[in-house]
Amino acid sequence: MRNDNHRIPLLEGRRVSKYFGGLAALNEVDFAVYPGEIVGLIGPNGSGKTTLFDCLSRVQDLSSGQVFFKGEEITHKKPYQVAHMGLARTFQVIRIYRKLTVLENMLLSRQWRGETLWRQLRPSHRQTEERAKELLHFLLLDRLMHEKAGNLSGGQQRLLEIGMALMPDPDLILLDEATSGINPTLIETIKDRIRALNREAKKTFLLIEHNIHFIGDLCSRVFVLNYGQKLAEGTPEEIVNNEAVIEAYFGADGGENDVE
Amino acid sequence: MKGLKQIWRQYRLNRWFLFLLLVGLFALPLPQFVAPERKLVTNSLLFSFTQMFMLITLASNWNLTGGFTGYVDFGHAVFFGLGAYGTGILMNKLGWPFWPAMVVGGMISAVFAVLIGSATLRLKGPYFSISMLGTFVAMREIVRVSKPLTGGGEGLTLPPYLNRPLFYYITLILAILVVTLIWWIRRTEFGATLIAIREDEIGAEMRGINTTLNKITAFWIAAFLSGLVGGLWAYQNTFIDPDVVFFESRTVELVMMTMLGGLGTVAGPVIGAAVIYWLRDVVWASFFQYHLLVEGALLIIIVLFVPEGIMGALGDDSSTSLGRIMRRWFRESPKEGVA
Repeated sequence: MRNDNHRIPLLEGRRVSKYFGGLAALNEVDFAVYPGEIVGLIGPNGSGKTTLFDCLSRVQDLSSGQVFFKGEEITHKKPYQVAHMGLARTFQVIRIYRKLTVLENMLLSRQWRGETLWRQLRPSHRQTEERAKELLHFLLLDRLMHEKAGNLSGGQQRLLEIGMALMPDPDLILLDEATSGINPTLIETIKDRIRALNREAKKTFLLIEHNIHFIGDLCSRVFVLNYGQKLAEGTPEEIVNNEAVIEAYFGADGGENDVE
Repeated sequence: MKGLKQIWRQYRLNRWFLFLLLVGLFALPLPQFVAPERKLVTNSLLFSFTQMFMLITLASNWNLTGGFTGYVDFGHAVFFGLGAYGTGILMNKLGWPFWPAMVVGGMISAVFAVLIGSATLRLKGPYFSISMLGTFVAMREIVRVSKPLTGGGEGLTLPPYLNRPLFYYITLILAILVVTLIWWIRRTEFGATLIAIREDEIGAEMRGINTTLNKITAFWIAAFLSGLVGGLWAYQNTFIDPDVVFFESRTVELVMMTMLGGLGTVAGPVIGAAVIYWLRDVVWASFFQYHLLVEGALLIIIVLFVPEGIMGALGDDSSTSLGRIMRRWFRESPKEGVA
């Protein structure tokens, strides 16, 4: 954030708090993603990463604070309205439509902005279908196009979810542990694709990731959460060498916390 | 089972089979016109078929919200009832002819569905089911106390018109139209959207689908069609009162039929309604006092052994089960959203 004060953030959370009963999952977190960045969000398990994602993408209501997307306040907008504005995400727990085919899953994830219900009664555009097929081809799912999504393996379902997030051509993509359960070769492919989308199409990414190499290779900036609070922020190198981060991950008492 | 599945695959697109079935159904009342004195087809048989067609239509409508969208409505008969009373009041009090009265009855149901749905469709899973059951019971009592309009507990008499073959054809055509409509909806993106809402509402909302709008649309379409059936039912029954129209098991039956046939499939409610209707006919005829017991046992058997219904057992993997729908809602309950 320090270097980017002159730019308007693409996504910004101001003093975002979320309480579950007495538990503060997020405590006044200030957070910003600038256009064209790839930002990593890390932290020990239970540190509030997914909750922050949910609050930023409007899946959960905030207890207090504000969220802005493209300079517009979205704190009280509905998730579908935020999606229309160009924000897409994947989920830590896979969310796909199991009883629909892979292709139907993709087609239903297209850009819906400005469409009437009436439009849904007509067949889908050829462009939409071509885009879906092209993405499925990239994700190596094209042969399973007409299979019910629920019959896919866990890794394939995760890939499908990534495809569904890319489908509407969003400006900001939030990936929540997108690489877990995917084979290493494909992770490299996904990494290349993210990098290409970032450089060529100027897409902005926000990643929750446990795979530190993935973060290190892609991200220009890393944001560390611990116990619902911002612990550190900086380049991947800075973060890896940050005392507080090491302590949060390994614990002052010698490594009782979960590390991955 | 495998052999059965193969036979099914082979025949499910067999348009000839469907065609012959329809021709048969259309031809069934003909002996009444050609040779009425020989009593090949009795009025009571036509009456039975009329009831079955109405149940097929109602179950298909219920399936649109309950099966496709995953909102298990325990009070769907409220729309049937509003259609029946709308038609009854217009004919009895205002002297309207049947056809416009029936259509307006359906519209009353649809408008009510939009109003009540805007509130209840925000509730999830069992909360929605119970709120609709409450709506249903409340509506019965509202009808009972609105005596000047509805005749209260004494009911309303409609101008009698006892033409069994005519009702047979009207209900048959309505059933065909409704099943075709639902088949078509399933093939459009709208149908896929409804299933997406059932499968993962939060995901659908996050991917840009206005779930509330889609849910309400499905809800009022189903309500309108059930309102039409209500109007037809009132006219062929010639008499309506709160207890006979707002009869609890009317909804429970629809749920059972759709579950037996296969939730979320087009053919499911049709098969389920036909099977249960004739089964009930047999059960009622042979041991009337135990019919509820038998029906209850049947429901348990469905849940335990064919949770995805006949269609599911035949290998149609778009069929789903009530348990699957309900489990999803418990998993999505706010407390578990913490992680």
